[in-house]
Amino acid sequence: MAKISPRGIPVERGKIHEFATAILDDHPHYHDVEAARAAGLPSVVAPPSFVMAGALFEGASVETLAGIDGFDVRSALHCAQEFVFERPLCAGDVLTGSPGATRSYEKGSGSGGRMKFVEFEIVYRDQNGDIVVRSRTTAVQAPGVEKAR
Amino acid sequence: MSVDWAAVRVGDERRFDAGEIGRFHFVRYAGASGDFNPLHYDDAAARDAGQQRVFGQGMLTAGILSGIPAAWFGPESLRRFAVRFRARLWPGDRVSCWGRVVRVYRQGDRLHADLLLSAKNQNGDVLVRGEATVREWRP
Repeated sequence: MAKISPRGIPVERGKIHEFATAILDDHPHYHDVEAARAAGLPSVVAPPSFVMAGALFEGASVETLAGIDGFDVRSALHCAQEFVFERPLCAGDVLTGSPGATRSYEKGSGSGGRMKFVEFEIVYRDQNGDIVVRSRTTAVQAPGVEKAR
Repeated sequence: MSVDWAAVRVGDERRFDAGEIGRFHFVRYAGASGDFNPLHYDDAAARDAGQQRVFGQGMLTAGILSGIPAAWFGPESLRRFAVRFRARLWPGDRVSCWGRVVRVYRQGDRLHADLLLSAKNQNGDVLVRGEATVREWRP
């Protein structure tokens, strides 16, 4: 199965600041430790899509998809994404991702071809082994359709 | 900053205009996210893939859209955030985001709300459709 990431990636304030800036979000709980603490958080909180950030993700999607029989990563298209949180992810957490459920299925397309869908989950646990967030990705492979990812 | 949960009702709406999004934003998101797929900053690579030019990462638009529940309820209140990618974001497009409460309910000892979300371009085309569940934040 896929290698997800080096074990134990620290979630850092600077990376949260950088990521939140890139998604144009100036919410003080992303950028200002004092504001986050005033809200009862241990430190700044990460945006919901933060676990897609490279240091945490570390090619997990590509490796997981590559491990699925008959799925060509180069012509697959990311079509949906979901994050489910057990608690807020904050700076100071140390996350380790591991593969969760994976399934693939086919659907007929309008043009009569077959489109192959893959759904896979990555479960991120904290330094105590507790689940913080589950990330679920859906990708589709449609022969002859635009290559995107 | 924090929302008054007792006043949250089905049908409540929020929207904001994220302004014009372009190559600068694609490159900055590539760096911040680690997604260095060249389709988002290299026109030659985009043309080789059958596209007219570079286009934005779906997760960039999704991230901008997450600003609706984050600004409204606080980012710490997010229980679930889900998106589907519908259309390409081209350089120079204006992105506007919208969200509406579709359900308010109590689960355990906390109030929850389900939201529908969308990010559209200047023509009204949906770029990303989303859903979120938020819940009362208790430290």
